[in-house]
Amino acid sequence: MLKNFCGSPEHSVNRRAFLGSTLGTAAAMTGLNALAEPALAAELKKTQKRVILLWLAGGASQLETFDPKPGAATGGPFRAIPTDVPGTHISELMPQMAKRMKNTLVIRGLNTKIADHGGAAKIMMRGRRDEAGIRYPDLGAVMAREMARADSQVPDYVTFYTQTEGRGMAPGDPGFLGARFGPMELTTNNTPDFIRKLESVSVLDHKERADLRDLLSKQFVKGRSLGETLGSHNEAYERVRGIMASEKLFDINQEPEKVRDRYGKSQFGQQALIARRLVEAGVPFVRVGRAWWDSHGQNFETHAEMVPELDHVMTTLIDDLKERGLSNDVMIVTLAEFGRTPTINASLGRDHFASAWSMTMTGGKAKGGAVWGKSDPKGATIVDQEVNASSLFATIYSALGINPHKNYYLGSRPVPLVNPGTEVIEDVIA
Amino acid sequence: MAIPAPDKFKSAKEVSRPVHTFAIAKNGPIAYLGSSDFKVCAVDLSEAKPEVKDVHGEHLSYVTGVALSGTTLVSGAYDGKLVWWDIAANKLIRTTKDAHAKWIRKLAASPDGSRIASIADDMVCRLWDASTGKLVSELRGHQEKTPHGYGSMLYAVAFSPDGTLIVTGDKVGHVVVWDAKKGTQLASVEAPVMYTWDPVQRLHSIGGIRSVAISPDNATLAVGGMGKVGNIDHLEGKTRLELFDWKAGKALAEIQSDKFKGLVNRLAFAPDGSWLAGAGGAGEGFLSFWDVKQKKVIREEKVGNHIHDFAMSKAGNEIALVGHSKVIVFQVA
Repeated sequence: MLKNFCGSPEHSVNRRAFLGSTLGTAAAMTGLNALAEPALAAELKKTQKRVILLWLAGGASQLETFDPKPGAATGGPFRAIPTDVPGTHISELMPQMAKRMKNTLVIRGLNTKIADHGGAAKIMMRGRRDEAGIRYPDLGAVMAREMARADSQVPDYVTFYTQTEGRGMAPGDPGFLGARFGPMELTTNNTPDFIRKLESVSVLDHKERADLRDLLSKQFVKGRSLGETLGSHNEAYERVRGIMASEKLFDINQEPEKVRDRYGKSQFGQQALIARRLVEAGVPFVRVGRAWWDSHGQNFETHAEMVPELDHVMTTLIDDLKERGLSNDVMIVTLAEFGRTPTINASLGRDHFASAWSMTMTGGKAKGGAVWGKSDPKGATIVDQEVNASSLFATIYSALGINPHKNYYLGSRPVPLVNPGTEVIEDVIA
Repeated sequence: MAIPAPDKFKSAKEVSRPVHTFAIAKNGPIAYLGSSDFKVCAVDLSEAKPEVKDVHGEHLSYVTGVALSGTTLVSGAYDGKLVWWDIAANKLIRTTKDAHAKWIRKLAASPDGSRIASIADDMVCRLWDASTGKLVSELRGHQEKTPHGYGSMLYAVAFSPDGTLIVTGDKVGHVVVWDAKKGTQLASVEAPVMYTWDPVQRLHSIGGIRSVAISPDNATLAVGGMGKVGNIDHLEGKTRLELFDWKAGKALAEIQSDKFKGLVNRLAFAPDGSWLAGAGGAGEGFLSFWDVKQKKVIREEKVGNHIHDFAMSKAGNEIALVGHSKVIVFQVA
């Protein structure tokens, strides 16, 4: 198992402070909640970056969101509206985001070449293809590896993907980092299965069992040099107990009604609210998958239905995180496996398109108000500042304070975090 | 003149265009078209090689409805505007800037030319005085949201041939029959099969009622759309027609095609009501005819492109269809 604590004092956590206020009482199982621990929340605020990835599965249209081409033969019927960034226009379907583009970096120059769902999803979750003998970790796993606390008792990587279409194309994958950094996958409901304490086991029972296990472990290790093994063993148990205790993080009924109303009753809105709760509690990475944007037919009807929801969810998250002082530390990313063709087909649909599409980053060190990349007037090609998957991910990492040129190690073999030779787009880093 | 049988219609002419044409209104041989290039155009279909000519470019988005009242051509678009154009003088009469708050989906002219009906995604049908442009009445009977909480669409409108009734149909399958003069609701029927909501795989919807028509005797209401869809990424449901005795609130027939998939975008009864013509499509298009009395399909003709609208002559012997990249004329041989 790779060590995940670099030893930096900045990344250490006062374990006693973290645990002491919550363990040792009958209410321990429900008490572990960083939301309720101001000192811990402050500690997290200081050092840890987090990501909420809004994964627009199936491929949302850049022409109906962040790179409109009104009046072009390929532009479709939606108009472009001005935003709070002079010179930057987005689709009329996003009037709320139009007032928040000064907080948001738009990358319009994506050319990622692969336009089949499965292959493209893998690349756009990793920033690169797998190679023979190397399964690369995805963005969530890297965030878990880089940002998780050594003794974290919240999950490090959570992914929501409720719809069935496309679910198997981009599962969370820790690659060579191993299961420790794999995702908690929520597909059937918004609360993890199997973490709830059994009704037949009381809170006191549960604590006493843990205390007994602890006592027996200490007795066992006397006279044996098993410190590290036992440490790992105990860490695993603490993590499980912690994750069990974090069940309430997934419960939006813990939020005041006005907050729940703000996010709305849609599945997307509710999962975004849970994502906010999770990152606030210290979870480094949450993906909220909103399937399914693959509008081969009736593209404009589909986007008229789905983009306003995206507009609402994005802006609610942006505002909520800002009000909680988390804008600098939590980055909201909108991304998909690809965009959609400028050409409108006979069914008034748009098809898969990876040659000129868009994504956004809000928060972290992403430079708000910046636009990087320009497509031609029809949206068919990138004419300036082209971005491939590798440079996109290098930039994302950099905006999160992660050195994209660092190495992981497979055995003694160095494995760079991004493809060698990849440059960060420095102009979009604040 | 005898009403021609559907099997007499043959494809007579095609005019290629590099745009989607959404709407057509005819004045004799001249067809007025609304299209995806935001323009209203005209073409004389009696010419050997018809040429499409611009009439105006007053709109800011797809022109989805055109209607004629004498020499007044009214167009409606996704910009929510109505543009009133004098085709004799070739000049703008007026613009109704905020005719609707959302996308205008279709226009219809009353048979006597006195009224223009417009429908839009603000879920309102508005009736306008065709000579003054003044708003006469608003017909409100469709829900703004779908049952699943998303904005709905009002796709279909038609006058009865005698002009006494208006019919409107929406995304979720709700159809309302109105008294055209009083602006009051007379009846409603439901065609929910035409709306597919997918909560499991894709979490959005497709479909909706796309066309409505009333028979010349005012007895039969025809509703067109698409049957249930498995994969809502595509228009892959069977084309679907439902017939109602709307006064009795009774469903008379549900007819799905085994030959064609996609939407039925336009319906029109023969002048004597003996047959019903419908057109639409998915990736490709179709023109179909149904026997109204027997409630079965008579003829299904493949047309090379998705059809959005057609204009049928008063005698019922010519149908000019418009859609993706073409204008096609079917005539009785």
